[in-house]
Amino acid sequence: MAIINLQNVTYKYPLTDSPVLHNINLQVNEGEFVAVIGPNGAGKSTLCYTIAGFVPHFFKGELTGTVEVAGSESSNSSLHEWVLNVGLAFQNPFNQISGAKYTVFEEIAFGLENTGVPREEMKPRVEAAMKLTDISDLADRSPYSLSGGQQQRVALTSILVMQPKVLVLDEPTSQMDPIGTREVFSVIRTMAEQGMTVVLVEHKVEWIAKFADRVIALYEGQILLEGKPQAVLTSDLLMDKGFGISRYTSTAREARNQGLWQNDRPLPVTLDEAVEGFRK
Amino acid sequence: MNDRLSFYRKKNSLIHRLNPFTKLALIFTLIVIGIFGTGYWTASIVVCLVLIPLTFISKLFWEYLWVVLRLILPTATFMFVMQSIFIPGGITEIFHIGPFSVELETVQRSFLIVSRLFLVISAFAFLLLSTHPSELMSDLTRRGLAPQFAYVIISTLQILPQMQAKAQTIIAAQRSRGLDTQSSFIRRVGSLVPLVGPLVFGSLVEVEERAIAIEARGFTSTHVKTSLHDVPDSNFDKIIRWVLVALVLIALALKIWLS
Amino acid sequence: MNIEISDLQFTYPTGVQALFGVSLEINSGEQVAIVGQNGAGKTTLVKHLNGLLQPTSGYVRIGDWDTKQHSVAKLAHRVGYVFQNPDEQLFSKNVGTEVAFGPKNLGYASAQIAALVKDALELTELSDKTETNPYDLSPTWRKMVAIASIIAMDTPIVIFDEPTTGQDAVNIARMASVIAKLRTQGKTVITITHDIDFCAENFGRVIAMSRGQMILDGKSTMVLGQEEVLATTYVDPPQLTRLGKRLGFEKTVTNKAEFLAALQK
Repeated sequence: MAIINLQNVTYKYPLTDSPVLHNINLQVNEGEFVAVIGPNGAGKSTLCYTIAGFVPHFFKGELTGTVEVAGSESSNSSLHEWVLNVGLAFQNPFNQISGAKYTVFEEIAFGLENTGVPREEMKPRVEAAMKLTDISDLADRSPYSLSGGQQQRVALTSILVMQPKVLVLDEPTSQMDPIGTREVFSVIRTMAEQGMTVVLVEHKVEWIAKFADRVIALYEGQILLEGKPQAVLTSDLLMDKGFGISRYTSTAREARNQGLWQNDRPLPVTLDEAVEGFRK
Repeated sequence: MNDRLSFYRKKNSLIHRLNPFTKLALIFTLIVIGIFGTGYWTASIVVCLVLIPLTFISKLFWEYLWVVLRLILPTATFMFVMQSIFIPGGITEIFHIGPFSVELETVQRSFLIVSRLFLVISAFAFLLLSTHPSELMSDLTRRGLAPQFAYVIISTLQILPQMQAKAQTIIAAQRSRGLDTQSSFIRRVGSLVPLVGPLVFGSLVEVEERAIAIEARGFTSTHVKTSLHDVPDSNFDKIIRWVLVALVLIALALKIWLS
Repeated sequence: MNIEISDLQFTYPTGVQALFGVSLEINSGEQVAIVGQNGAGKTTLVKHLNGLLQPTSGYVRIGDWDTKQHSVAKLAHRVGYVFQNPDEQLFSKNVGTEVAFGPKNLGYASAQIAALVKDALELTELSDKTETNPYDLSPTWRKMVAIASIIAMDTPIVIFDEPTTGQDAVNIARMASVIAKLRTQGKTVITITHDIDFCAENFGRVIAMSRGQMILDGKSTMVLGQEEVLATTYVDPPQLTRLGKRLGFEKTVTNKAEFLAALQK
């Protein structure tokens, strides 16, 4: 059963000449972990905003086609109802701190306050969410005193506490240092393993290959390729279009040309696959 | 980045336990009486006989003194001197410095204006020291203040220090491009655009993202908002507020009757 | 233009000591990458090179200039610094004016400024965007504008602070070609980066820092092979280096060419 269903979606931002998304057809099943890759400007963020309802309700512009998420249809829903079903986090952790609250605990409860959750429910929900993302020790800190990785985890927790059905993440690790990246990926993995439907835009293909169910390659507003990580991430098509691919893949491809990689063996994306392949 | 949350200083005092709206009403009353009250010395009396004792009761005297010495006194002194010299219409000259003469009447007038200013700033300082901004906004929102308004005030208070840090980085970045921040005054005025430009444009980008972030947390939801913390409003608070209303009315009545 | 850093110690006004005696020399034309976890002192170190920070003790010499005796604006003649966030630099009404800002401040002649701007725009593929307002460009292109702005200053030393953060493969490739061009021009390029693969493919010398000290300094093939030491400052070796190690290569490989050559054997 598709929890996200985009059909023939084309979208143009206001005051622009050409659409950013062309005829997108995308179905995501409940519990699936879908990764989206593509060069900057391909429309990845716009796709995220569309699933999260900000396109068209926040950005206005022209949207054609149908967008259905978790049983609601975009054209007859309001944004503030939509956000209850779809959680959105993006690249810059600093801009996701509301600025309205002085402690991390209150920051996380902000979404619950806005949506009228009864006071008795708030504390246990916030505590449970913080445990899930391993930030319980940050509860009394000011959000502005945290590291990038910590801030990003607070942002994620603030969304998760609202118990969305779908999680949309737009390059959450792009501005993180290696430690922050590890921390954020850990949270995403936990959510995916718990059955959350996740749409993740990422450049770090090695990690995607290990944990995503499906990869979608977006190029100039259209879906270029879609399928299992292995198949998509090693495709020649990606290489031609300038996608960032794993160095294991590009090296093995050249090795194959030199007879140093078995012809019928699929190209590797991860370290382990590469080790296994080169050992032969 | 220090963890100092805000101007607020947490203490165990009667004042701290009052409802934030009561405290707001209190300083408002003091300001109205001090400014509209008749009498030359009214503002000064309010500061000395009401406000300062309040800072003692709320155990905030030393913090208040710090604000006075660092902020209020320099500002007030500067204004006093400037006004004493430059306000026209004085008659009885006391002394003069070069071409500038200082008259008794202008000094008196200047002192009146400055004493009222002193009262207003002191009252707000007292409010900020004794009331957590979150609690104040939370309480006001409960009483009907638009949540957007409350949000703008609080987020500005928190983000201003961040913007300061950002401004420092911008200055460093432009200096690294050869912008001379130590040259003549005229040159420095010309360097305002490269310093302010990025701050403004960069902030616009940030503001849009932040708007998306709070929208994603249901900020525009039509649900009745609930709050994590309970801000109590006791009967004692309510009585005090009625007394304050009465005092304001009396002060205004006196002014009308005496003029 | 050589860089000499001697026993550099630095303590912030808050009392936190960030550098505990760093000494190193960078010769003219070298390409150096500085890696290490956040807080190791990388940015603190590099900010001493153009005078944004002054040593608490020790000294920093850029050529024959001691940084203590020259202002940041003066040192900008010798050291160009590309900050991480382009939005903290961009303010002009169009790209052309923005890129000309640096060279103008340095007092070059008009003809020279025009030439420098033209070359910088060509190198960063911005020639067709001269009249565009920087803020009408995507973040990716704004980054290139910031880089062009510094290149146009024609300084013998160029510093990049985290150039690849948030960039896609196409832009990273552009940056690599910019750095290659600077190399052919004999410029010294210093970069701080978390992207260890980018580091391995573009920089011949790597300095690893941890807690305010240098823990490794040498050719990239030497430094990037030291997995355990790098791990102490949360740096993973490049992908191909790891692969080479797992396959039991004798020598450390840092890029595709080296890997394939080693595989042949």
